[in-house]
Formats: sequence, structure tokens, C-alpha cells
Amino acid sequence: MQRPTQTKPSLAFLLVRYREFPLLAVFALLLIGVNLRIPGYLNNNYLNVLKGASINMVMASGMLLVLLIGSIDISVSATLALSGAIAGMLMREGVIDSSALMFAAGILIGASVGALNGLLMSYGRILPIIVTLGMSYITRALIPMDWLLGLNKIARINLTDGFKTLLLDRGFLTLPMLVWIAAVVPVIIGLFLRYTRLGRDIYAVGSNESAARVRGVRVERVKLFAHTVCGATAGLAGILWLGYYNAIEKSTATGDEMFTIAACVLGGVSVTGGYGKMTGVVIGALMIATINSAIPQLRIGSSMITEFIKGILLLGAILLNVAVRRTAGRLERARVWGAGTSNSGASGAEPPAKRRVM
Amino acid sequence: MRTVRRALGPILRWESMLVVLLALICIVFNQRDASQQAAGLSRRDVFNFASIIRGLRPYMLYSFMTLGMMLILAMGEIDISTGASAALSLATLGVVYQGLTNAGMPNVPALILGLACCLLSGGICGALNGWLVTRFKELYSMIITLAMQLFFRGIAYLLLGGGTLTFRNDPVFDSLKKLYNTVAIGSVNVPVMLFWFAAPALVFTVWIHGTVSGRRIFALGTNRACAYFSGVRTDSIQFWMFALCGLMSAVTAIFFTGATSSSIRADAMGGYELYAIAAAVLGGFSTSGGKGSVPGVVLSLVIFGVMKIGLGTLYGFADSMVNLSVGVILIANTLLLGVGRFFPTGWGQGARRLRIKRGAALHPQGE
Repeated sequence: MQRPTQTKPSLAFLLVRYREFPLLAVFALLLIGVNLRIPGYLNNNYLNVLKGASINMVMASGMLLVLLIGSIDISVSATLALSGAIAGMLMREGVIDSSALMFAAGILIGASVGALNGLLMSYGRILPIIVTLGMSYITRALIPMDWLLGLNKIARINLTDGFKTLLLDRGFLTLPMLVWIAAVVPVIIGLFLRYTRLGRDIYAVGSNESAARVRGVRVERVKLFAHTVCGATAGLAGILWLGYYNAIEKSTATGDEMFTIAACVLGGVSVTGGYGKMTGVVIGALMIATINSAIPQLRIGSSMITEFIKGILLLGAILLNVAVRRTAGRLERARVWGAGTSNSGASGAEPPAKRRVM
Repeated sequence: MRTVRRALGPILRWESMLVVLLALICIVFNQRDASQQAAGLSRRDVFNFASIIRGLRPYMLYSFMTLGMMLILAMGEIDISTGASAALSLATLGVVYQGLTNAGMPNVPALILGLACCLLSGGICGALNGWLVTRFKELYSMIITLAMQLFFRGIAYLLLGGGTLTFRNDPVFDSLKKLYNTVAIGSVNVPVMLFWFAAPALVFTVWIHGTVSGRRIFALGTNRACAYFSGVRTDSIQFWMFALCGLMSAVTAIFFTGATSSSIRADAMGGYELYAIAAAVLGGFSTSGGKGSVPGVVLSLVIFGVMKIGLGTLYGFADSMVNLSVGVILIANTLLLGVGRFFPTGWGQGARRLRIKRGAALHPQGE
């Protein structure tokens, strides 16, 4: 079997393929910088940072699927609140009496909201932003105020405490269950994306939908699946939220979908679909959690500056992604169309347009 | 069937459907009102013309923003940062006014300068969106404005320092409240805001449906490439429309100041972008661009107002249930517009457009 000769990978290819390494370097620099300003930051409270990162991490790994198919879901934080509220209420009423059932209920509720999103989007042909914007309002409205959960006060103490200890106390390798869940979910989804057929189909749909359709991918089902998984992770995050903060109310996590999207985008996921890796998302989520926890301790200003910095961060990450892709494209063009280096026989042709003019 | 459709062409329009919908809603609410009165639950009828007109007031606040959003949707783009840019304009108004009066400036010019800065900052927010959207074409306007929303709110928080600015005993600043007053015409208390809204609505109707520059917005939304090669300056139109949308958000902010008894907060007007998008979409502006009419938007604003008044007073729904109904209407209506495609939503094209569409459906390669 003769294989085509492998050419040396271009700089552009390397830049796009291994985006995680520069990101990892930036993350390391960030950690070192914070540790210099706040001595003992890493030793003392990095476990807390990990705990804080875990909820966003779980949501971001679901969001990755949705962004990969070129869609978006801004109803995740509302889904989180709904699933946490319903599961918490069921626990308080005594319907659910084991932690495993809690997780099952949360995931189920989240998955059904996500599936509804996906159905409306793929079979109803509505823009993702419209569906999820509407859905986030619908979902939040479904959380009645009298379900306000002060679990530590009125709930059945045994189970709630058991649930809380299970999630937060130091377990295997001195890490709490919360962190373990946040570590396992991205690994599972990452492996799934990389090694299963459906996972590759998700990339195919994202990079070119009509090509994927011609190739035999059932685009609608893939989209439905991606949204269902995203909803399910948001539901799981709701249960984690319940264990971590011990209370959920109507406005819980409002606006957190931005940080979920920011974690993905910071990790190099393209918001137009087709490109993104789980490793990047994990680093992105960790970076956001670090910044979140470090800003109040750094005392660079009022706590209000956090909002501002997060906005800058999200915007910067999005624009940085575009810049990287453009640079990669330019390098690639220079390599292919450069002076006589082309071996494809097209050296006399005009180089393609530099940027879209329209 | 075809002849029937041709004859009914001018009537079978999205706007006519909206009129029917409005009539249906009014009939249902009226029945409910009458039955409540008969059951002795309320002493007087709470749902009549005068009460609707008076009650429309809080739901007219985002009407200006809707006019801006409409233009963005007509281009096939979306701007979900309008609520945040309105909040930033609001913060600018408060901070500029407070700063100038503290510096010893008389109140009236300070207020005028503050309003100018408010409009300016709204325009700048929109222009920033427009610049990013035209400069970074790889990205959807959705994701850009999503990020900008966070950014604008962040700046508003920074400006206000997280607190609330109030000008309670300031007669000059309180004159903004006049914008939220009503005037008695006959026995009906008509909100002043209705007149303020009528002016831009009329201008926008004539402009986007009747002039070349307005029709170009729709051309851009229908087929961007085609518009570009026909000599439409797509980038420039897009930039200015986003700027205009930001300006309309700032106008909303000014009226909002009047409505909230002159207290200024950075988290004001959260979710207004949803209302604006929902109203524009119900008015016939498809999210994929190129469709819609201003009369439809005006009708849909009235429908939303009537729905909220009715659901609130007659059925006792809480605010969140009203939000729920807005969400349902938004999704259901987009579904209807996308799947049905029966009613033409443009203005002044009527039956011809319908025929073209039917023809296009027979030959799907034109899609």
C-alpha cells in the first residue's frame, strides 16, 4: 500500500493544530503572576479555585459540542437553575432519597430542555440564538419563587448533608467528588468527540453542513444530539451547584452562560463551528476560574471591575481566535502560492483573495 | 385556489394576520373581563380602550429599541447588546449630569449636555458593534454582540461604581418624568410617549419602505453578495445601521429615566433586547433578513402591550409568566414564519412577492 509522501507540516498547520500549548503557557504565566502578587495563593486555595471551576467546566464541555456544530446555547444557566431547583425540591419533598437519583434527575431535566432546544432548532429551523434566548426566559419562568431552596434549613438533614459531604469532602486522592466529576465529564466527552463516529460527525456538521449531509451524516440528529448533551451537562451542573452553594433561586447563575462560552472560546473553539478541542476548553475554564478568584484578592479596584474584565476577556478571546486563524491562513497561502515552492501545478494561477470583500 | 390567492393577495399579509390576532386577543380578554365582572370579582371593567391606551405606557419603553433592532434584523444580523448599551447610555447620562452640576454648571445646560452624551454613547456602542461586525466577518454578529453586552454592562458598573444614582429632589432632572406622563384627550389618557414614538415610526416607515437607501437594507438582508455586486455599499450600511440601533437604545434609556423616577442603575433594562427582538420578529422581520415592515412592528408592539396588560390584570400572572409568554411567542412565531412562509411580510409588494415565492418553491434550486 503506497501512501502519499508526507510533507513537512507548515507553521500555519502547527499554529492551528497545537493551539493549546501557547494557551497553557499563558495560563502558567497567569498562575505565576498571581502567586507572586498573593504569596501562597496556589498552596492555600487552589482547591477552592478548582471547586469553583468545576461547575463551569462541566457546562463548558457540553457547550463545546454545541459550538462545534456552529450553534450556540445561551439557555444553559437557566437550565442549570431549573434542574437544580426541581431536583432540590424533589429531594426536600422526599421523592428522591439517594444522591445517584439526584444526579439522574438533574441530567434528565437538563437533557429534556436541551432536546427541546435541539428539536426546535434542527426540525423547526429556527436560529439557535432565538430558540435559546426564548428558552432561557421560559425556563427561568418555570422556577416558581416558592420553591426557593434553603436546603440547609428545611430539608431532610440526613440526605442533604450526605449529599453535600459526598460532593465537597475530600475523597479519592484528597480531591472532592465535585472536582472528580468536573474532571471525568470533559474526559468522557473529549474521548467521545475524538474516537466515535458520532463525535467525528459533529465536527463534520460544524465545518461544512451541506458536505456532511451529502456524505450521509444525519445532520438534524447530530444537532439534536449535541444540544441534548449540552442540556444534560447543564442539568448536571445544576446538581453540582446545589451541592456547592446549597441553595438555588430564581436568578441563580444569571449570565453565567457567558463564562461558559468564554471558557470555550478562550480554549480556541471556533464560534462558527468545526474547530475546537476539549483540552483547550479545560484550560480555558481553569483560566476563567483563576481570574475570577484572583481579582478580588488582588485588590486592583472595586469588585465591579470583574464584570468589565470578563467582557474584555471574552471579546479578546474571540478576536484572538480570528487573528490566529487569519495568520494561519496567510501563512498557508504564502506557503502554497509562494515563489515556486508549489508542486501542485497551479503555480501560475492567481492567489486567492486575501479577505472576504463583501 | 390560485385565483383565490391572487385575488386575496393584498389582504393575505402578515399585518392583516396581526390585526386578526389583536382582535382575537381583545375579544378573549373582554370576555374574561365581562365574566369577572359578572362574578363580582371586579367592580368596574378593567379592560377597555382607555385602560389599554393608558396601560401601554410601560410597554412602550422598548419600542424605540425595537425600531433599531428591526433594521438589524432586516440585514439578517442580530444585536443582543442593545439592553446593555442602553444601560451604559443611562449611566453616562447620570454621571455626566452629576459631574457637571457638581462642577457648578447650571442644571439646564448640564441636563442638555447629559442627554447629548447619552445619545452619543449609545451611538458609539452601536458603532463599535458595527465596526467589529464589518471588520471580523468570520464571526456572527450574535457572538460579537454577546461579548459586547458583557463589556457594556461592565463599563456601566464601573461608571456607577455598583451603586444607584438618584436625583430625587432635582426639578430639572425630574423634568424627564414628563416624558412618561399622560395627556388627556377626551376621556382617554394618552401617554406622551406614544407621540414621541409616532415620529420615528413614521420617519422609519417612509425611509425603509419608500427610499432607495432604505430598500438597500432589505437588499442586503435578502442576498448580501447580490447586493454587493449591484453596487450597494454593504459594509458602510451595516456599520451605520448598527450605530443607529445603538442610538435608538440610548433613546430608550432616556425614556426609561423618566419611567423609573430618575434613579439610575447599571442593571437596568436587562432583557429588553429579548422584548425588542420578539416584537420585531412578531412584526414580520425574519431573523434571516430581508423581510418585514414598520406597520407590522407597531402592531406587534401593541399586541405585546395588550397581552401583558391582560395577562397581568385579568389573569394575575406574575412578571415571569409574562416573560414566559414572550419566550413562547418568540419561538412559536419564528416557527410559523419559517415553516408556513405563506404570508408575505414585506411592504408594498403583496401578491407579486407571493407569486415569486410560490414559483421559487417549485424550483428549489433557486434557494
